[in-house]
Amino acid sequence: MSATLTETSRTGRAPGPRLLRGLNWLVVRQHRAALLTVLAVTVLGSIWIAYQHGRMGQTLEAAGWPEKELAQPAVASTTGLSLTVTALSALPVILAVFLGAPLIAGDQEHGTAQLVTTQSVSRHRWLTTKLLWCYAAVVVSGTVLSAFFTWWWKPYRSVFSSPWSEGPVFDNTGPVLPALCLFLTAAGITIGLLLRRVLASMLVTFVFAAIVEVVWGEMRAYLAPSRMLTYPLDGDMPARLNESLELDRWIGSADGHLYGWGLCAKTTEAASDACIKEHGIVNNVVEYLGYDQMPAMQWTGAGILVAATAVLTVFTLWRVSRSPL
Amino acid sequence: MADAFTPGGASGAWALEARGLGKRYRRGWALRDCSFRLPAGRICGLVGPNGAGKSTLLGLATRQVQPTEGELQIFGVPVDDPAAMPRFAFLGQDKPLFKRFTVAETLRLGSELNPGWDMAAAERIVRSGQVPMHARVGTLSGGQRTRVAFALAFGKRPDLLLLDEPMSDLDPLARHDMSTLLMSEAVERGTTVVMSSHMLSELEDMCDYLLVLADGRIRMAGDADALVPAHSLVTGLAGDGDPTDLLAPHTVVEARVQGRQFHALVRPNGPLSGDWVVAEPSLEEVLLAHLRSSDAPPLFTPGARIEAEGIHTS
Repeated sequence: MSATLTETSRTGRAPGPRLLRGLNWLVVRQHRAALLTVLAVTVLGSIWIAYQHGRMGQTLEAAGWPEKELAQPAVASTTGLSLTVTALSALPVILAVFLGAPLIAGDQEHGTAQLVTTQSVSRHRWLTTKLLWCYAAVVVSGTVLSAFFTWWWKPYRSVFSSPWSEGPVFDNTGPVLPALCLFLTAAGITIGLLLRRVLASMLVTFVFAAIVEVVWGEMRAYLAPSRMLTYPLDGDMPARLNESLELDRWIGSADGHLYGWGLCAKTTEAASDACIKEHGIVNNVVEYLGYDQMPAMQWTGAGILVAATAVLTVFTLWRVSRSPL
Repeated sequence: MADAFTPGGASGAWALEARGLGKRYRRGWALRDCSFRLPAGRICGLVGPNGAGKSTLLGLATRQVQPTEGELQIFGVPVDDPAAMPRFAFLGQDKPLFKRFTVAETLRLGSELNPGWDMAAAERIVRSGQVPMHARVGTLSGGQRTRVAFALAFGKRPDLLLLDEPMSDLDPLARHDMSTLLMSEAVERGTTVVMSSHMLSELEDMCDYLLVLADGRIRMAGDADALVPAHSLVTGLAGDGDPTDLLAPHTVVEARVQGRQFHALVRPNGPLSGDWVVAEPSLEEVLLAHLRSSDAPPLFTPGARIEAEGIHTS
């Protein structure tokens, strides 16, 4: 009995505790540097955001906010904020280019895909393990950073230089940041798998990510059904529009007919008044997205991105099961 | 040559069994109509010019290439069955390893990914080459890296070891070391080895079984000891006629006329009668003749051929 034990420990495993086994060990060992970097970025980024949050709080307190109006945008345009926003916006692209694109392409280019898949594990299992670790890393990183940034932004949103509907806030808070990280990384992995070359797939992934950012920016306003608000032509803008994203604006007659906003923008006031009378215009009509729609829009957007990730993942797994690496 | 195996018995007696195996790439067929058997326990040389289909055949056996047609079995298990995976080990031409792993980590990779891993054997192979366990693979010399790759392959305890030009990038000393290591490990375990090589002398020393490929088809398959004596080197007066006609009842693999003389490599079908000088060729001469003349009929020794009804012909 004891002889068997001795034999096992001598011929068997390396000494020391083994937290991970099998493919998990291999994937973590192979991507140790990348995973540690993501971890460090997440931790340091969170600390940085917490520090900036505290600093902004102090500055605002010193300025007497929120009782006193601020001399905009003195507070909001601190370098700390713009740096944070830039870094967070770049995070999904960086993860896609430096973690996603080389994930499979690196193994294909260096032949280590051949090494691993000729051991006793199927390439399907190997790939699934790699994908899970990579997805977990980017989702955790994106979620933690997004949570910290949301926590910073929410109470101070009125002093932030960007409104909620724009990329710097919308894409970096709530579920959108982790979903963008996940989708772009999955795209990078797929591009890498198809191109089989690290450098080429990193370049293509970068271009693809840039295109996605543009398309995503255009898509944002369509993530929730817009609302219409009608108020008198000479009335003040209702308070509920203060934090809204105005999509379009018309002038309308009493019977509900809408005219272009510039219809009666004439050179003289008399001419404008005559125009207004002629068309019977009595109302301002605004098409807008309300701030209360933001969570719904973010979750819808994140849902679309996760669905696209699922499609890419299925394609990747199907492709690998059909044709060898 | 039916002494070393039991044909018709358990299918496990055949280390490799191909039936109508073929692979077509966009450029054309890399391998076609490939049917053969390799008995277990042999050291098999895979010979052929560049582009003959050697790497494709090894790729098919290791599931890195999907066959276009036909099937391939390893010890009776189809190669696309996961159960076949622990039974073979593969060493590719460029012997890929993780460059940032240490040697110890590389061996741990083997132990983590293979159920029947033999760490003692793998460590012995590494230690016998004085390869430091904590050196990174990227810092090792070519010979040391090959040794680590061999350790990874043998640690898997494969029944079948597939090697794609394993020695091609080694200096003569390392080549000798690796050959010795390969032979001793294979003999000790009874491992079946298939190795492709351009080095005919290397094959002559190590292999007792041959698989000769040219233009994606099998030219010869069988025992090295039986393949060579099946041929004769004939030298005679050419006269006016084609030497092939003179040698009519025999299978002429290759015939060349030099001046008034002809030299031919034939497979005699019966006694060679005539005013000729008959000599036994060397293995190298037989191989070269077959590689040069791809229209000669293929030759299989009895064990290597698959019965006609089993062959998928197209």
